[in-house]
Amino acid sequence: MSLDHIVSVTIGGLTVGMIYALIALGYTMVYGVLKFINFAHGEVFTVGGYVAAFTLLAVGVDADSSPLMLAGALVAALAVAVLVPMVLGFVIERIAYRPLRGRSRIIPLLSAIGVSIALQQLIILIFGSKPVTIPTLELSSASVGLFGVRIRVLALVIIAVSALLMVGLTYLVKSTRIGKAMRATSQDMEAAEMMGIDTNRTIAFTFLVGSALAGIGGLLVVMYYGSLKYDAGFLYGLKAFTAAVLGGIGNIPGAVVGAIVLGMTETYGVSVDLGFLAWFVLAGLVLGLYVQMVHVPRQRVGHISPDRRTPEYEQSIVNVYRLTPYHGVRVLMAERTDALLSVSAAHAMRLMMGNVFLAAVAAYMFVNASARIDTRWQPVIAFAVLMVILMFRPSGILGEAITEKV
Amino acid sequence: MGSVLELQDVSMSFGGLKAVDTLSFTVEENEIVSIIGPNGSGKTTTFNLISGLYEPHSGDILLKGESIAGLRADVVHDKGISRTFQSLRLFTNMSVMENVLVGMHSVTSGGVVASMLRLPNVRREERAMREKAQEILDMFPGRFSGPRQSQPAYSLSYANRRRLEIARALASDPALLLLDEPVAGMNPAESHEVMEQIKLLREKGYTILMIEHDMHVVEGVSDRVIAMDHGVKIAEGTYDEVANDPQVVEAYLGKRAADATA
Repeated sequence: MSLDHIVSVTIGGLTVGMIYALIALGYTMVYGVLKFINFAHGEVFTVGGYVAAFTLLAVGVDADSSPLMLAGALVAALAVAVLVPMVLGFVIERIAYRPLRGRSRIIPLLSAIGVSIALQQLIILIFGSKPVTIPTLELSSASVGLFGVRIRVLALVIIAVSALLMVGLTYLVKSTRIGKAMRATSQDMEAAEMMGIDTNRTIAFTFLVGSALAGIGGLLVVMYYGSLKYDAGFLYGLKAFTAAVLGGIGNIPGAVVGAIVLGMTETYGVSVDLGFLAWFVLAGLVLGLYVQMVHVPRQRVGHISPDRRTPEYEQSIVNVYRLTPYHGVRVLMAERTDALLSVSAAHAMRLMMGNVFLAAVAAYMFVNASARIDTRWQPVIAFAVLMVILMFRPSGILGEAITEKV
Repeated sequence: MGSVLELQDVSMSFGGLKAVDTLSFTVEENEIVSIIGPNGSGKTTTFNLISGLYEPHSGDILLKGESIAGLRADVVHDKGISRTFQSLRLFTNMSVMENVLVGMHSVTSGGVVASMLRLPNVRREERAMREKAQEILDMFPGRFSGPRQSQPAYSLSYANRRRLEIARALASDPALLLLDEPVAGMNPAESHEVMEQIKLLREKGYTILMIEHDMHVVEGVSDRVIAMDHGVKIAEGTYDEVANDPQVVEAYLGKRAADATA
């Protein structure tokens, strides 16, 4: 594992992470105000990419186009990639979600899945089922040297553009009048209404912003990979949704953090050799042992009420926790130390098995240090990471909207 | 000069239950009117009808002679009715200052593009808004001073949350202010302070309709008192008239007690 490899993998992970983030923001913003997952959002992204690609094809750009024509075509593509998804998002909200607002939560969810399927078929009907491919442009294949590695300029552009959009969005939500209305609506829609906020308009605006970001994501993906398939929105949407949950659904910085974590894990997971990854597994093992043996017991001992605190009692609690940190939490609540001790053996066994398993995985990886994970495992790695993180932090890395909203 | 608020035979039922039954009353300019009544007598439903959360099944609600029955809650707010809530409904994750600024939503106009670009007129409006919010927060001396303004509303004490609800409702300079149990859960000293503040609001020219259980406060501030029971207005008049009305005594204490006092 050399430095230039790390640089190029990091830039690659950051690039896909930023694209996930652009889509994830739409999921998380809509969840923030409506408390439901807009499953049609992935298709809004696909439509953005398609209309951008067809605009480029219609203008007829190719590798020999003059810079002026290229710039014009890109501006036009950007305009349609923003406007068409915006209109689409607005219409979806108006006809498929608004009439169902206030019903039980499963109903708009079903509607969203229906819209998603309908849109996918509509894309096939309008654009055909073959992937749309744009001609290779000098712009999208150009590269620069960075720390001795060739990096695609476009990757840097994607990272910069996305970061800029996110800063703008943060400002919009934090400091503008409509942003305050969005936050108020997401906390208490009825109260917001009675404070003079037109919540219908605010929700429509949320869909407009989310869809525009997804549309820009679509354009960037088409530029970066050169082609897009009609069902691309499914996997991108799912991953962006994952990123939103990973960061804490409804939390805007959370979506960005979740997306970057996801992009990095995916890219690192399949781009580096097992010997490199093994260090991560070892780090996980050490961290797990630290939490189990030191952190949790210390924390729990602090929770013993002062009148019961004797050195012997503290020591027994520490011992119990070292053996059964997770089960013990619940049992101590009831202050049933004897019950705790009776379950400890089985539980300690299970925890030990977990550590032995991690150690075995690390050992296997070191033995096969030069091997790599097949790229087809990429989504699996992403979801494994999701599961592990959510096991320890059920509300996501930065917490859910309910506890910390921005 | 007509009444600020006029309810004409307003009725509202949930299922078979008449929550509000042919209710009529008026609130005049710069007056403080209190609605009292046992729990479940339809007071909060009346507030929800006035503030546009519910649409009355029959009857009409007039604000300065203009019908507002059936309008959306945000439109009603634009027309000049602002309220507080019995069960506090602050935007708890937003700061104290932001809560007041949200209360001004309907009286400001900053468009999206203009505010993203920070055009001069937006900045001017923002400055004016903050100054005005500051003025309103200063009406509660010592409660929302300095750094406390940028703290999230959830960090406030219970009494301060109640105060902040009033501040948020005042932010839009309402023609009619609805206070839903403004001193609920407060200790006597705090209640007294809020009572003085409500009197101050009258001096500033506000018109207030208030639901309150604390009879000390009702007696202290009300120009007029309306008593409700089972959705019906059972008495109206000065505090003393209403407090001694046999029907009101009966509603609160039962029939035997009413007979004993009669």
